[in-house]
Amino acid sequence: MKQMDLFLIMCRSLTHAQRSLRLLEHNGIVAAVVKAPQELRSNGCGYALRLYRHFEDAVRVLRTGGLLQGKLYRQTADGQFEEAV
Amino acid sequence: MTIYLDHAATSLLKPIGVSQAVSNAMRTMASPGRGSHRPALRAADTVLDCRIAAAELFHVEDPEHIVFTFNATHALNLAIFSLVHPGSRVLISGFEHNAVTRPLRAVGADVRIAGRRLFDRQALIDEFARAIPGVDHVVCTHVSNAFGYILPIREIAGLCRKHGCSLIVDASQSAGVLDVDQRELGADFIAMPGHKGLFGPQGTGLLLCGREGRPLLFGGSGSDSRQQNMPAYLPDRLEAGTQNACGIAGLLAGIRYVKEVGTAAIREHETKLLRYMCSRLKKDERIELFRGEDETQSGVLSLRCRGLDSETAAGMLGEKGVCVRGGLHCAPLAHESAGTLETGTVRFSFSPFNTEEEIETACSRLREMLP
Repeated sequence: MKQMDLFLIMCRSLTHAQRSLRLLEHNGIVAAVVKAPQELRSNGCGYALRLYRHFEDAVRVLRTGGLLQGKLYRQTADGQFEEAV
Repeated sequence: MTIYLDHAATSLLKPIGVSQAVSNAMRTMASPGRGSHRPALRAADTVLDCRIAAAELFHVEDPEHIVFTFNATHALNLAIFSLVHPGSRVLISGFEHNAVTRPLRAVGADVRIAGRRLFDRQALIDEFARAIPGVDHVVCTHVSNAFGYILPIREIAGLCRKHGCSLIVDASQSAGVLDVDQRELGADFIAMPGHKGLFGPQGTGLLLCGREGRPLLFGGSGSDSRQQNMPAYLPDRLEAGTQNACGIAGLLAGIRYVKEVGTAAIREHETKLLRYMCSRLKKDERIELFRGEDETQSGVLSLRCRGLDSETAAGMLGEKGVCVRGGLHCAPLAHESAGTLETGTVRFSFSPFNTEEEIETACSRLREMLP
């Protein structure tokens, strides 16, 4: 069985991450707030939204809601993260 | 029976949900913004809920512009030190608290005072209109903590817009009682405590930010940790150190109560008690009441007892189980404006949880002890 893709949507703060999460949940998209991997945060600690499906929908919802501010990442098969466009 | 009438200092009588929320938070919540485990996220959810509830109550467009503080004094210091520089020309009313005047003195501002006649809103507007040209900033209370005088804050905000100066509002006595509308006022900052009209625990306060502020405290924010400057964005920029999650949980319960009951109903009840108390005391020649019209006075009543010092009178009332505050109420400027600087006043302040029976008893105990 194919492993599900993991996506991260970077958020500038915990408050921003929570607000984004609530907007996604309001639109029926399941996600979770997680601490962002240090390798993806040049400024140190930060938060991200983690989701496994409906990535494009999530990006659209956040962009429409004015909450899409950080970079987007997809985890590759070898566990590394690459920017998702 | 203890009768608590010192809500202008701290609302001791609170909705039952407040202490339950604090207790629940102490048992289940960790530090928001310091981890992604459930206790931390539970705390973070509560903190966000409180930001959103406050944003709704005070008509702040972006909940991230709600900053948690320790109290209104902390919030006012943040606002004043963000905007005011040495030599800045600052216009204040004659009814400001030391939480405004002391930081202005500390920063070295050039302070001018306008509007010193108690309960005379039109005179205050006229004096502000004359004094505001050339002013950099206005710092003004919405309600005098010493006298309950409701200042014409909408008109003052209009003058600030007209003359292009910034506005800081001290909503310490109005938050939760009067309509405080950031969208309408367009203030740069509105400061308020959580532990008075919003019924949160002590150690809570709010700063509504109409612009980015300058930090007073520097430290961990749970974000951008490699950077040695505080984050550039709100609320993290102004919230260094561990949050008072338990206090904020209680504050959330308090704000929800205010939203449910409504500020109009709260104000109506407090005005009713104010009227009732005045009706019981106005004929007693031993008592001097400081009473405006209903529309110019909130649920705070100051009085003087002839032949009895205000601190002594408040102390005697305390011994009889009536909890009030005497003296200058940390607002010597307000007392100077009202002509009560040398004597102070005895201040009675009401809440939605007080009753006419309590007011009746307090009046009786006051009359009994007068010479």
